[in-house]
Amino acid sequence: MAQVVLSEIPPLGAAFARAMVPTRGAAVRLPEHSIVISRVDQDPVRLAAYNRVCGFTLRDHVAPTWLHVLTFPLHIHLLGDKASSIRLMGAVHVSNAMTLHRPVRFDETLTLEVGVGNPRAHAKGALIDLVGQVRVGDEPVWDGVSTYLSSSAKVAGEPQPVERLPFEPGQPQALWRLPSDLGRRYRDVSGDPNLIHTNRLAAKAFGFQRPIIHGMWTHARALAALEGRLPDAYTATVGFAKPVLLPGTVGFAAAPTERGFSTAVTNRDGSKPHMLMTVEAVGR
Amino acid sequence: MNHDVVVVGGNRVPFTKGGTHYAEASNHDLLTAAIDGLVARYGLAGTRLDEVAGGAVLKHANDFNLTREVVLSSALAPETPAVDLQQACATGLETTMYIANKIALGQARVGIAAGVDSTSDAPIAVSDSLRRILHAASGARTAKDRIGILAKIRPSHLAPVPPRVSEPRTGLTMGEHQAITTKRWGVTREQQDEIAVASHRNLARAWDEGFFDDLVTPYLSLARDGIMRPDSSMEKLAKLKPAFGGPEGTMTAGNSTALSDGAAAVLLASAEYAEENHLPVLARVVDAEVAAVDHPGGSDLLMAPVGATGRLLARQGLTVDDFALVEIHEAFAATVVATLKAWEDADYCRSLGLDGPIGTLDTSRLNVNGSSLATGHPFAATGARIVPSLAKMLAARGPGSKGLISVCAAGGQGVVAILEAV
Repeated sequence: MAQVVLSEIPPLGAAFARAMVPTRGAAVRLPEHSIVISRVDQDPVRLAAYNRVCGFTLRDHVAPTWLHVLTFPLHIHLLGDKASSIRLMGAVHVSNAMTLHRPVRFDETLTLEVGVGNPRAHAKGALIDLVGQVRVGDEPVWDGVSTYLSSSAKVAGEPQPVERLPFEPGQPQALWRLPSDLGRRYRDVSGDPNLIHTNRLAAKAFGFQRPIIHGMWTHARALAALEGRLPDAYTATVGFAKPVLLPGTVGFAAAPTERGFSTAVTNRDGSKPHMLMTVEAVGR
Repeated sequence: MNHDVVVVGGNRVPFTKGGTHYAEASNHDLLTAAIDGLVARYGLAGTRLDEVAGGAVLKHANDFNLTREVVLSSALAPETPAVDLQQACATGLETTMYIANKIALGQARVGIAAGVDSTSDAPIAVSDSLRRILHAASGARTAKDRIGILAKIRPSHLAPVPPRVSEPRTGLTMGEHQAITTKRWGVTREQQDEIAVASHRNLARAWDEGFFDDLVTPYLSLARDGIMRPDSSMEKLAKLKPAFGGPEGTMTAGNSTALSDGAAAVLLASAEYAEENHLPVLARVVDAEVAAVDHPGGSDLLMAPVGATGRLLARQGLTVDDFALVEIHEAFAATVVATLKAWEDADYCRSLGLDGPIGTLDTSRLNVNGSSLATGHPFAATGARIVPSLAKMLAARGPGSKGLISVCAAGGQGVVAILEAV
């Protein structure tokens, strides 16, 4: 895959506006290049704010979801490319998988690379993967795959069944009360300006009664609930089932598994999932 | 005591001035860093300890279970119970004695004593008047009643109230109290500045010698104590203007502790537990005493440890000369000088009910690796900083070496304790 090297993280506003513009034509076209940006220093003040919003203790080591946040502007930039027929408008973040290969310090200088590919048929459109990697020098320290469903796009072929994380209804172990300003607070630390998270009218335009919290906040909050017991290196796999409306109250449950944890963010009574997450230790 | 209590070791984050390196860190963050560092050093990840005792002086209302929440964020087993204690600047020594006493009685075998404070993230409260109005409004039966009550709010009620640094009963700040003591005991500027210079130079030497390599874990890019000035000198300190005691005052920002951020933790165990689990042992916790003075009645606010020291030494049959090392917390340099003068003052000691003077300290044994002036003084953390450092110094001097710790605290209180190398 060809690389396009950027000298700095692109500002989100313009790229986001481009990525929001719908495109015509059903056949999926995706940029064939990846975007690379090196010498990225992490902003400790923004990291501290991110940790506060998501519930992480401020440590020398960062959460893997924070590394995802750092790659997010590159996702937007890539989807805003002329070669991309998929726009963020109408695309739904359906699942995510990330692997932290080793603890990453907040003061490590990073190289970020993001590519897009793997278009495949889905009953409601097409799925694509935004694939990210974070490196320290030449060493990959984090890999992530964000899978989006674009309802306006089409890919030839039979839709493949989508693997779903198993869910058993159960009594939540915790209730999280999500305030109405949570979308704004997460926007401020993540840089994701999508109005469906902060604005009632925008949310309604996309079919939601109220603004919805970012899926990656829910992901981060679930990891934060496990923080003291997370291994040094692990894969976190997440499936987003149903958006969480703001303000709102959701349930959380976690159970240990052979190599990690299985967790669910549910409605209040634990009968329906909003997000399912598994954590599995890797390597070493 | 049924069981010997031993200091296994300790860990702290580097201390620093409030509003600097740890400006974004809360008490929770700082204490988690200190305890996780201790857990890593002694291989305690996933271990259920019998108890963790911690505390902070400046604490947010929603941090009522601060230490338990920190345990849950840490790598310790979530089944580890915790308690919050607070005894002003002596908190870290009082948590040490709380855990040590439980171990001595056989109620616990292993535990962590800790303390933390952040002046960067100090709680700011609403005014008394506003709080009363809000409580009344939340108890109102109808919306009309509620609006009526809320209408009483005046702009002056909305001014935030920072934590009080003054003694509630005297209205004097700690510095103002110490200024009275400083004058009363005839403590000179030179005596104070000498203590301050020694504190910085001793601390810097200890860092250079690697003394803190197994006592401190770097946090947020800070690897050494941020307040430390290795190049401190009498000449530089002499240039500072008085901070307390008026224009003729002798106390300056250089010989008073700075508002600090930091956290410290001590691992304590019974001698049997340490042996069974192959843990190192630095020193035994021998005894301790807490004391208070009548500061609203005019006594010296920060001199309560003097009476405690006299009674503790009498109980143990020890004299000042029996101690290889003495740690007197440098709330102010003048506190240390006045404390040592008081030890030698027969009349003062008798006024405390002691038989006679405590004795004269050979100051080459005092705060040999620096103290709070150079290290900083995150209030509740200081005791938990001193205990493992002193235990390590005593261990290096060989079995039987004894050390005394004296920590003064707000409210006219103080805690003293004795450690002995094993």
